[in-house]
Order: sequence, then C-alpha cells, then structure tokens
Amino acid sequence: MSAEGQLYRLERESMKESILHSLDGRVKLIVLIFIIIYAVYTTNILILALIEIYLILLILLSHLSLKSSFIKILLIIPFGGSIAILQPFVHSGTIIYSLPLGIHITSQGLIFGALLISRLIVTLTCIVLLSSLSPMQEVAESFRKLGLPRDFSMIFSLFIRFLFMFYDELQRIRNAQITRNFDIFNKKTAYMWRLRQVAYTIAMMFLRSYERGESVYLSMLSRGYSDQSRIYNAKNKEIGKNEYFFILTTLLVIICLQIFVMFLIPKTGFFNLSIL
Amino acid sequence: MHIPDGFIPLWQCLIYWIIAIIFLIMAFRWGRKNLNEKNIPLMAVLAAGIFAIMTINIPIPFGSSGHMVGAAMVAIIFMSPWAAVMIIALVLIVEGLVFGDGGITTMGANLINMGVCGGFVGYYTWKALYKPYKGSDGVVAGSGILSKWWSIGVASWLAIFLSAILAALELGWAGTFPLGLGLLFMGGYHAMIGIFEAIITVIVISSLEKIRPDLLSWNKLKRAEADNPNSDNPEVPSK
Repeated sequence: MSAEGQLYRLERESMKESILHSLDGRVKLIVLIFIIIYAVYTTNILILALIEIYLILLILLSHLSLKSSFIKILLIIPFGGSIAILQPFVHSGTIIYSLPLGIHITSQGLIFGALLISRLIVTLTCIVLLSSLSPMQEVAESFRKLGLPRDFSMIFSLFIRFLFMFYDELQRIRNAQITRNFDIFNKKTAYMWRLRQVAYTIAMMFLRSYERGESVYLSMLSRGYSDQSRIYNAKNKEIGKNEYFFILTTLLVIICLQIFVMFLIPKTGFFNLSIL
Repeated sequence: MHIPDGFIPLWQCLIYWIIAIIFLIMAFRWGRKNLNEKNIPLMAVLAAGIFAIMTINIPIPFGSSGHMVGAAMVAIIFMSPWAAVMIIALVLIVEGLVFGDGGITTMGANLINMGVCGGFVGYYTWKALYKPYKGSDGVVAGSGILSKWWSIGVASWLAIFLSAILAALELGWAGTFPLGLGLLFMGGYHAMIGIFEAIITVIVISSLEKIRPDLLSWNKLKRAEADNPNSDNPEVPSK
C-alpha cells in the first residue's frame, strides 16, 4: 500500500470509538512507549510473547481488525527483519549446521535472531496500536502538553497538516503526468530525462505545497494564531479514572512479568529462553 | 538507514539520546532566533517533503533500509545545519510513532545519523567546496574549488554516505551484525542512493532558485542588494 493510502487509512482508524480511543493522548503515548522500552530491555522471548498477547488484547478491545494490524506489521518487518534473519549465519557460537561455501548456522545466532524478531514484532505492534488509537494531530498535541517547546510543536502541528496537503498535491501532479502518458518505467525515454522529471515533480510538489501552506499559515496568523494558541477540541479533558486504570493495568502486567523473569524462571528452570 | 527498536542495547540508546537532546536544544535556540512567519511554513513543508522522500525504502541485507534523507538539502536551503536537525527530528517522530519506520529507543541514534551527521556534513562540505562569501556590497558569491551546483551535489552525496557509515558503526558497536559487512552493504548501497540524492537536491534547489529565490537563505543578502540600485556586483546578478 502506498504511504498516501496508509496515511488516510490510519487517520480513519484512529477516529473509531472505543474505550482505548477515548483515552487521553498523553496516556496512550507514554504507556506504549513504556512497553517498547521494556520490550527492548528484556532478553526473554517468552516475556516478549506474553507482552504480545497483552497487546493483542488491547487491539481487540479497541475494535481494531487483528488481520489488518498484522498485515501492517508484516509490511514494516522486512526492513529490520533482514538483519534478524541473517543472525544465524553471522553470529559466532556453537555450529549446529554447516552449509556449502563455509557458511555455518550457530545456535546462539539462531536464538539472537529470534530475540530480534520478537522484539521487532512487539515494538511494531505497539506502534501500530498507537497510530490506530491516536490521530496524528492528537500525538502532536500530546507532545505539546508534555512540554515540547511551543515553537517546535507549532511546526510539528503544521507539518502534520501539510503532510496531507502534500500528498494531495503529489496525487494531482501524478494525475497530470498520467494524462500526458508519462511513465517513470518507460525505457523508451532516456534515463536521465526520467530522473529529471522525478526531481521536477519533487520541486513542483515543494513549491505548490509551500505556496498553499504559506497562504493558509498567513491566514491563520491574520486571525490571531500564534505558538501560544490552543485549538479547541471537544475531546479535550482531564486525565480520569479510565486513564488511571489503563496505566495501572499495564504497570501491573509489566511488574508481574518482571517478577516472573527474576524469581520464577531461575527457580523452576522452565521457559528459560533468556539470552545475552 | 532507520535503526529499529531492539537492535541497540538500552544503555547505548541512552547515550545517543543524550547527545541528540543536546543537539535538539541547540536547534530550538537557533529556531527561536531565526524563524519568522515566512520560514515556519517552509520548514513544515520541507518536513512533509522529506517525510515523503524517506518513505521510498529499499531493504538492505546487512543494514536496515536504504532511502534518501534530504538533510543536506534543508541545511543548504536554510544555510544552517540546525534547520536539518529540527526537521529530521520532526520527521523521525512521525515515522517512528505513526509508521513504525525507525524506533523510539533508537530515535536518538537515528537523529544523530540523519539529522546531525547529514545536516552538518552536508552544510559544511558545501561551504568548504563552494566557499560562499559576502562581498563588500553585501552580495554572496563563491570562491571555492567547485561551482554552486557541483558543491551542493557532492555535499548531498557525502552527507547520506557518512550517515549510512555512522549507522553501520552504531550497529557494529551494538553487536547486532559484523562491522565489516555492515560498512560494506550500508556504505555501498548509500553510495549509490547518494547519487540520486545529489541529483534531486541540485534540481530541487535550482528550481527554488529560479521560481522562488526568496526562499533560499543565501538570497536574503541579494535582496538587500536589489534594494540598493547602486550595486553593480558582476558575479551574482541581482533579481
């Protein structure tokens, strides 16, 4: 799926209604970042699997499609996953299988690769959940409320507005090119010529978006907008009992998992999948 | 080039975050001093543009992913590497939190690679090669070994290449994959991607120069010259 399509679909999903959607943006942001940090900290694959189950429960609670959530994760995984998949071949350790050309598969590499993949899945599930629960503007507002400098959060907020405008402009330019039979993969035209057209497209996209953005921004300024402005939102509210319940539940899950790692696994010896 | 979460140990992530935060604070200070109602929408549009450019990814076997960065372009347009730090930080936040490209714990490292290294290498390489100077009449011209456009191209290439090398070094230090292979693959791929980045950066900046020269920081001095009818600098024609 194109980034453009993904952008609009994410925004539509984040507009859904559920208990988790209605939570304060700051709470969703902090809790999910906390889970990511814990997932990076832990070296036990079983713990990562249990965190993933908790995240799946949250996805179901948010009325989000499990299938589309995992498709999104699968689309992102190849970029980091390529490193993880190669670990059995590049990590030193006990050789468990030898391939031609002096390539060996090591058990340590296999486990390390599995750990990297597990971490990647958990952290990406967190991100997919966060992006499906909070519209981008809410994320920007949450950062502002959490103390991001006002001028920076104003640029952040404008950037998110311009992002959609930018993709609209890109689509218009693409449509105009298609109507003129322009095809970037058409080898009948010179490669440099095609490259130049791509660069002109990017330049035009910048200029058109800038000119529209400039007029919108100047209109906002003339109506009293500044970095001190607060945009009214009917959903603006204080942190309530639902937010506290979400924070406490997540904290409890993490604490229980850590107790499990620290005390139960060493005593029983079961599920000891810790590495490093 | 985006390093995902879990590929660098937390204690190393913390070091990168501290360095990145120091650079971010400096960038905010620069922003407060230099940004006005004309620059703010430009900055937001450039961030949106760079976001779009970065979404075009190529998976790399021994690295994370290959794509264009645009940090040098931003630094040269604003004539400040701090602008690149600020814009790349914005882009990384949205990419990391919304699209899962990059990571949260590794955002500090990613900002150092793309924003700090890309911006500073891009800007100072361009400055060293083109040697822009302000004449006695206030006009900016170049006295370096390369022309304006060649110097922009070389600076953009070097910025993305060194950013990729830095990412490979970080992953090597983290023990995620062998340093030699990482340098070979990340460096090799980005040396090629850098050529596209250089061509596109030159065309984008030259288009801005033709259509909206007022958006380029080096032209602010030219505008002062245009206001002065007695100016007769032959090297840089006034608008």
